[in-house]
Amino acid sequence: MNFNCKCLVFILFLVTIKPINAYSQDDATDVIEKILDLLSRDPSEDQDYSDIVERLNYYMKHPIDLNAATHEQLKELIFISPVQINEILRHSLENGSFMDVLELQSIRSLDMESIGLLLNFVRVSFPAPLKDLTIKKLINKADHDLMIRVGRILEGQSGFSKAANSEEANYQGSALRLLTRYRYNFSNTLAASLNMEKDAGEQFFNKSKTNGFDFYSGNISFRGSGIVKKLLIGDYALQFGQGLVMWSGSGFGKGAGISTIAKQDFGLKPYSSVNESMFLRGVSGTFKYRKISFTPFASKKNLDASLTDQGNEISAVNISGLHRTKSEIDNKARLSSSIYGAHIQLNSRSLNMGFISYQTHFNLPFSAGKSLYEQYDFRGNSLTNLGMHYDYNFRNTYFFGEMAHSKNGGSAFINGIMSSLSPRVSIVLMHRNYAKNYHSFFNQSVSEASNAVNESGFYSALALKFDSKWDFFTYSDFFRFPWLKFRVNGPSSGYEILAQINYRMNKKLKLSSRFKQQVREENPDDNIAGSGLETVDKQNYRFEIIYSINDRFSLRNRAEIVRFQKGEAKYELGFLNYQDIIYKPLSSKLSGNIRFGIFDTESFNSRIYAYENDVLYSYSVPAYQGKGVRFYINARYTLVRGFDLWLRYSLTSYYDQKNVGSGDDQIRGNKRSDVRLQIRYQF
Amino acid sequence: MKCICLIFILFHTTVIAQISPGPRSLSMGSAGVTLKDVWSLQHNPAGIAGIQRPIFAVGYERHFSDQDLSTQKAVFAVPFKQHVFGLSIERYGLSEYSEQSAGIAYSRNFSGALALSIILKYHQLSIHKYGSANAISVDAGMQYRLNDKVWIGTHISNPSNSKYQNVSGSIIPVSLSLGVSFEFSDKVLIISDINKVLNATIDTKLGIEYKLINWFALRGGMSANPFKQYAGFGFHYQRFALDVASSSHPDLGYSPNLAFSYEF
Repeated sequence: MNFNCKCLVFILFLVTIKPINAYSQDDATDVIEKILDLLSRDPSEDQDYSDIVERLNYYMKHPIDLNAATHEQLKELIFISPVQINEILRHSLENGSFMDVLELQSIRSLDMESIGLLLNFVRVSFPAPLKDLTIKKLINKADHDLMIRVGRILEGQSGFSKAANSEEANYQGSALRLLTRYRYNFSNTLAASLNMEKDAGEQFFNKSKTNGFDFYSGNISFRGSGIVKKLLIGDYALQFGQGLVMWSGSGFGKGAGISTIAKQDFGLKPYSSVNESMFLRGVSGTFKYRKISFTPFASKKNLDASLTDQGNEISAVNISGLHRTKSEIDNKARLSSSIYGAHIQLNSRSLNMGFISYQTHFNLPFSAGKSLYEQYDFRGNSLTNLGMHYDYNFRNTYFFGEMAHSKNGGSAFINGIMSSLSPRVSIVLMHRNYAKNYHSFFNQSVSEASNAVNESGFYSALALKFDSKWDFFTYSDFFRFPWLKFRVNGPSSGYEILAQINYRMNKKLKLSSRFKQQVREENPDDNIAGSGLETVDKQNYRFEIIYSINDRFSLRNRAEIVRFQKGEAKYELGFLNYQDIIYKPLSSKLSGNIRFGIFDTESFNSRIYAYENDVLYSYSVPAYQGKGVRFYINARYTLVRGFDLWLRYSLTSYYDQKNVGSGDDQIRGNKRSDVRLQIRYQF
Repeated sequence: MKCICLIFILFHTTVIAQISPGPRSLSMGSAGVTLKDVWSLQHNPAGIAGIQRPIFAVGYERHFSDQDLSTQKAVFAVPFKQHVFGLSIERYGLSEYSEQSAGIAYSRNFSGALALSIILKYHQLSIHKYGSANAISVDAGMQYRLNDKVWIGTHISNPSNSKYQNVSGSIIPVSLSLGVSFEFSDKVLIISDINKVLNATIDTKLGIEYKLINWFALRGGMSANPFKQYAGFGFHYQRFALDVASSSHPDLGYSPNLAFSYEF
């Protein structure tokens, strides 16, 4: 394409496709909520997306230059698929540099939704000459980001008050939650991060806790362009291949789009989340020579664990990171783990191949599980993991996979194909087979269960774009568990189907509806030995309307119904309906959103999860369970440039309920409210 | 013993097991109301209305990889301008138990945008040492072109609820199917059917065909109720075509299906 022609194309874009700009004005938390909602199939409270939230926020503030974008950078925008990344990179190779971000619309595998999201994270600029580095610049030219977040549940929870027959409360600390984080970033070369956190109920600068916060995490990292690509000391995350062998931090699996099913690894990256267990602590680096990159790593870290009754073996590792009660404090950092290993990868334009091996040692052995279903679980105190992963691009088809082996245990395989058959039709096919005795402590591969073990399955997905207004996505997944599982006393199988249809009537109105069905087997509730398994059928129906009233206000309304049925028992229904009002003016110091929701679920099984807007870098996915109403308000106010304030208040009010929650978290009364204040100072 | 189990399961779960779709339809989730080939005689005879030359095909399906339980079938269609006539013969079962059917179809093409069809079927059920029973049923079908890319179709099977005389338990299913097909490009075809069988639940089916090259196509699909996954491929060389498909049932396993056709 010659220059004139390119200019013409560019002008045509500006003339014809202006409305798309409307997408780029979304509020940061709103865009990220949209992405999380799109990617995760089964939101729940125990998933940790804070590293993804932070990464997306970083790229919102420092958009990727499309003309200098690398495969690695684009991969970090988790919502675009490998096929799309390849086409973006190929576009500038074939047609010359991007002249405007709207040129993305000529990339055939990108749909309007993805472009709308992508525009928040990319820009187009022309190369500037490199500047010299001086110490002065390292301090003055760098970005500093300091943030403090405090919050608490306003009602008293029973864990904080003294029980009748004991001298002190179960929870040793106060109900306040506190997070302080600091980020230093010098032009993406040198970065440092520090997180300090105290959860509700944890001690903070009192008699037995003299070192202040309950959890500290930090690191210093360097990104280079020579042989040394990355160097990192402190807390880090490693993500390789499809996540069978080593994937620390959160990973998405089956979601309402095709982009997440083939995992895109980042290799070594600084750890920034406040999840207290899924990371490595030590030293690592990535060295690249021509087409080969090499990442050795070493980690030594303590884990929370409970002991067996005999007191000399580990019965369970606790990953909650909570140290509120005496027993939780006793279990804290009881187990010491050391990990060392290396990853080597061959990168070429279309083929990447990597090999990984690492060893994990514990100072105490894991005990053999008591129950039959635990028979193949890890035991002993040392584990060696080996793995090989690949991905290969051929025209519009992306092949990916990983095979893994744990020494003295089993093997695991995952292989898949992602292809855009035509500009408007994409498919994914993926097969997995994880042995019942495959072990890895950093395993985030696609699976129906929480870990990639004891499972085989076949996943297929189809994404259709009928025209610029209608699109459709569906997947089906069949899975089999060859060995017993928790609450499943026999080999079992099941399947899952999801279908979603989206309609964008115009730039103001968007409708979508989703159907999801999960069928699996479980022990009957009256667990009589030998009575066989019962089928559990859970169906979700969702309908959503997003409407923007003007350039300040938009509305979102969702209705969701869950139908849960186990065996021959009567089905249980759950219902949720909420209304969001989002206020985001083009230029104002104040922005925010409000939700009012009403829910009525018959049981725990028919509870409904939904994403909620939260203060920046945070996210919440509460379960709506019981009967009642839910309200929250979330506001941001910019005091001066670089100084922001967030405030969030939420309230759940239950109908006809005397207590909320259970155990130490129980509240007397029918209300539960939470307040959160956050200050960020960027300089 | 295995046979007895299988028969038991078949009669309790899928009353439509007797209608064996062609391998192209089977590999696309057994959706086929809008497909247009000679095997349409099995799932919507209106699909033969567009045939230009006489065509003959034979097929074989083994049910759940069982050695004995199988279907053999043959179809033939011949066009006279807008009028297309078809013949189909099918045998399903084992040596001790079998169901035979033969059908004669008439299909008419109206200016390429609408096809209507009717098929008359003769059924015979024979059980070793017990004798046999007969029945006659009628099916009707329609296909309609909405635009260049989209076709819709409907097929009703045995609306008069014909039954075998003096045989309880064995039925000729009464069913209604609606289908739609989208041609996304000259390489990609997506089809979907909704199928309701009397006294059974509604099934939704989805299938895709991708012509990798002009003589070779890959196919896949799924059905929701019962949940099954399907895959297959087809070769087309001059006047010969070979199609292979298999369905996978979570409990019962694979059912391979193979067919060969020749265009005169």
